[in-house]
Amino acid sequence: MQINTVGPGCLAGQLPNLNRCGTVTHDEGDRNCYNTIKRIACYEISLDKLMSCLYIHIPFCLQKCAYCSFVSFGGREELFGRYVATLCREAEQTAARAAHTPLSTLFFGGGTPSLLPAASISKIIDCCHDLLGFTSGIEISLEANPGTIDYAKLAELRRAGVNRLSIGVQSFDDHELHRLGRAHNGEQALTTVRHARKAGFDNLSLDLMSGLPGQSADAWRRNLEQALALNPEHLSCYQLTIEEDTPFGRLQNQGLLELPHEDAIVAMDEITHTLCPAAGLERYEISNFARPGQECRHNLNYWHNRPYLALGAGAVSYDTKRRQRRLSDPQRYCELMESGDSIVIDEENLGTEASFRETIIMGLRLIQGVSINELQHRFHLNPGSYYGETLDRLISRNLLIIEQDRLRLTPHGLTFANRVMAELV
Amino acid sequence: MKEIRNFSIIAHIDHGKSTLADRMIQLCGEISDREFKNQLLDSMDIERERGITIKSQTICLPYKARNGKVYSLNLVDTPGHVDFSYEVSRALSSCEGALLLIDAAQGIEAQTLANLYLAMENDLDIIPVINKIDLPSAEPERVALQIEDDLGMDPETIQLCSAKTGQGVEDILEAIVNFLPAPVGDPNGELQALIFDANYDSFRGTIISCRIINGKIRAGDTIIFMSNNAEYRVEEVGLFKFRREAQKELSAGQVGYILAGVKTVSDTRPGDTITLKDQPCAEALPGFKEVQQVVFSSIYPITTDDYAGLATALEKLQLNDAALIFQKDSSAALGFGFRCGFLGLLHLEVIQERLEREFDIPLILTVPSVKYNFFLNDGTELIVDNPAYFPDPIKIQRVEEPYIKATILIPERYMGAIMTLCMERRGENTKYHYPMPGRIEFSCELPLAEVIYDFYDKLKSITQGYGSFDYELYDYRKSDLVKLDILVNGELVDALSQLVHRKNARSRGLHACEQLKKEIPRQMFKIAIQAAIGGTIVGRTTISALRKDVTAKCYGGDISRKRKLLEKQKAGKKRMKTVGNVEIPQKAFLSVLKSEQ
Ligand SMILES: Nc1nc2c(ncn2[C@@H]2O[C@H](COP(=O)(O)OP(=O)(O)OP(=O)(O)O)[C@@H](O)[C@H]2O)c(=O)[nH]1
Ligand code: SF4
Ligand code: SF4
Ligand SMILES: [Mg+2]
Repeated sequence: MQINTVGPGCLAGQLPNLNRCGTVTHDEGDRNCYNTIKRIACYEISLDKLMSCLYIHIPFCLQKCAYCSFVSFGGREELFGRYVATLCREAEQTAARAAHTPLSTLFFGGGTPSLLPAASISKIIDCCHDLLGFTSGIEISLEANPGTIDYAKLAELRRAGVNRLSIGVQSFDDHELHRLGRAHNGEQALTTVRHARKAGFDNLSLDLMSGLPGQSADAWRRNLEQALALNPEHLSCYQLTIEEDTPFGRLQNQGLLELPHEDAIVAMDEITHTLCPAAGLERYEISNFARPGQECRHNLNYWHNRPYLALGAGAVSYDTKRRQRRLSDPQRYCELMESGDSIVIDEENLGTEASFRETIIMGLRLIQGVSINELQHRFHLNPGSYYGETLDRLISRNLLIIEQDRLRLTPHGLTFANRVMAELV
Repeated sequence: MKEIRNFSIIAHIDHGKSTLADRMIQLCGEISDREFKNQLLDSMDIERERGITIKSQTICLPYKARNGKVYSLNLVDTPGHVDFSYEVSRALSSCEGALLLIDAAQGIEAQTLANLYLAMENDLDIIPVINKIDLPSAEPERVALQIEDDLGMDPETIQLCSAKTGQGVEDILEAIVNFLPAPVGDPNGELQALIFDANYDSFRGTIISCRIINGKIRAGDTIIFMSNNAEYRVEEVGLFKFRREAQKELSAGQVGYILAGVKTVSDTRPGDTITLKDQPCAEALPGFKEVQQVVFSSIYPITTDDYAGLATALEKLQLNDAALIFQKDSSAALGFGFRCGFLGLLHLEVIQERLEREFDIPLILTVPSVKYNFFLNDGTELIVDNPAYFPDPIKIQRVEEPYIKATILIPERYMGAIMTLCMERRGENTKYHYPMPGRIEFSCELPLAEVIYDFYDKLKSITQGYGSFDYELYDYRKSDLVKLDILVNGELVDALSQLVHRKNARSRGLHACEQLKKEIPRQMFKIAIQAAIGGTIVGRTTISALRKDVTAKCYGGDISRKRKLLEKQKAGKKRMKTVGNVEIPQKAFLSVLKSEQ
């Protein structure tokens, strides 16, 4: 494997030379590119045919949060060892079966990956390295929840190669955290950030949640200011979404969940969209902010609807043709893997047009939108002729805009993204 | 022929007709346990979802009686709801007898009486059956007294059963064999087959349900429809077993089907007589009484491309639902569609759903109306069932609206509340009597328009489900009508206009605004809804603008999930009609006539 050196901060340059600047035909190729937009654009093109992103799901948590609909289970410590071993087994299988190139991103999501002993994470990383290979600039992210990780563990993870930490802060207000059923307080979040810095993490992301029961716009502002004061490289601001079959879902059905009024929610969004840029964090996706160049590459891959590998219970992988979901129960997952049976419980094969539409929907989540050229390239379809009058209408209503090569949501369109996407899906 | 029994099961809604049919089907061993499901004859999805019978359904069962003979029982399960009484009367025309089912806990209800009269008009022999005797609240003795006193039937003939547990069902089968008459008719005479129902099958053409009155019919015969002399060659005849079962022939007394490759939908008319071309019968059977459609509404396809499809769909549906009538119509807001006549609001909803399900055409129905007589100053008379044709008010000399005579059966304690309801609805000439202790039969003359406007829902809720109601058209009376228009963001939506009594106009206008506010989802801009009479605004509401609609949640790699949510949102949009730039959901159009739930 040969890695070329290119301009500083170049994302594409961190890939093998397959699609690097100068070797692909794209008009933004520029050796000395410092421009985020361009870098992301190159990155897109570089990834076109690669499976160089790997997601690993760790379905364990201290306890289940009241709003959580992710694949995660409280307790089950007795399974940890077996689960880790099984992940490695699946990695072997993947290495043997799936077309892939050395990994450029690896993401431990959950659940609460930080709940696993550092040695386990380290073992998984080594396994992936040996079986799948890493590119030199690989981004290895791990989701950590305050209260599950101390300085020693952080330092060990850093040494094991984890170079991006995403901390599930959600809120700094203990009262709010309690209502959410989170297993930690605000103080613990601050400590985790401090320890992470000390352990050498220079790419930190914080997760915050707005629109919490009883939360005022001011309360949100305090949370956000606190988060920004910690100078994270990346920030995800999600709005609490109530899902069926969660404690919050049931409360809502009984009319017992008092969520902030829409006006308050809009005010919260405004606060977010003012304070983040002021602190140097640019909005690059509907709910994600980053210092230029420190966008989450693993997630960008999702938004570009590019292929990705996956391991673990509940994880979803995508190879541009098939999207496969693995069963959720970690014990069953281990059993089936051990007996050599299939762990895939859902498989989806989208046709060209459906994939095209899906790629647009996902891409519109990015502030810079989707590249029309690239869509043309990938699907031989053009949004203008494909959607015809629907697209014209959305443009004339100031929801979408086409500028040069990119189709994107306008600021107005961003607040009504679901409406727009529901027309295009 | 001596071993044939043709009978219907008739009753008030929910008294257990379909469940009793289930037990009989099982007792006769017509169907394997694996294929069996409850209310088997309710085969349409919409019947199963709503738990009611909408279509009469025939099934032919072999029954080995205690006397050792095997009988061929032709059972017809009928609907109980007042809107479908036309289904009942057509079904009865194929029978010699009827089981009149009465719920042991509820006793005699309005449709018990109405259906009994129908059976009597058709000269049927009737066996009264008290059902649901397993219920703790069952009072079979009391109900038996009602049957004797109120219906004037011989208490000796009463059968007791539980359609749920099967208790007493075999005795009913014996009673059918022993007390109901066998059909009469001449198998060697000229063919006279009465068409009582039909259904369209895209492969085989029209499936004609008929009762053979005289003569015989077999595959290869050339038949003619007597109403229009259309000529066809019979491909197959047979009986309605669990599935259609071909037979060598059908002969006098039998009920079955004819397939003759009839692709011209309009050739088959329920009530018409089929005879043989070579040996025609002297005259057609009397056929059916004309039905009186009482509610009118226009149907528009949401997508204008579906217009032609809608036309064929209506034609095919009419074959299976002879009570539906339609003619072309158009609207400024909705384009081209059809003005249709229905037997009631439930009938209307059923047609809408069947069109959407069986033919996959999303629709908008305009606000239902009754038929008014306008007498103009220049002496002309005008019948109007569509607000679009409301004449210029200054030209109107007078107008008349239809009145019904309602019969309402309720427990005594609800008397006051029902009286108030009828008065609110401009009721006149109220009368009442006590058919049995604790129950009141209340009769009242009411404007039909007031009845289609959520009367039945109100009655049900006031009486906590214990009230029942039947009505017949009575006469036309002088009225004072105005046209109530609805404006959405300043634009008149003709499909939402209605004709209302001047006295009620304001409150109806407000009600319509409120209902629309509930049904129209918030959009990216503010929506003003106004009710107007001849340019004067009488009511208004606004729907505030939606401020955001964006999911800010982390889905990780689970992109399909996010996409499916959007697809759902998109599917919801398909059920909306864009008027101006406002998206109005299908449901909103009918909601203006409904009470708040
Ligand atoms: N306990 C009890 N319930 C019964 C009996 N017969 C019917 N039911 C119940 O009564 C309800 C109505 O039964 P159906 O058979 O659908 O009534 P129906 O007369 O066909 O109703 P429509 O077709 O809508 O007029 C159902 O919930 C049945 O399960 C019975 O003998 N005992
Ligand atoms: S244009 Fe692309 S490949 Fe070239 S330097 Fe910039 S990011 Fe790297
Ligand atoms: S920590 Fe995250 S994954 Fe675990 S229960 Fe809470 S929300 Fe769910
Ligand atoms: Mg029924």
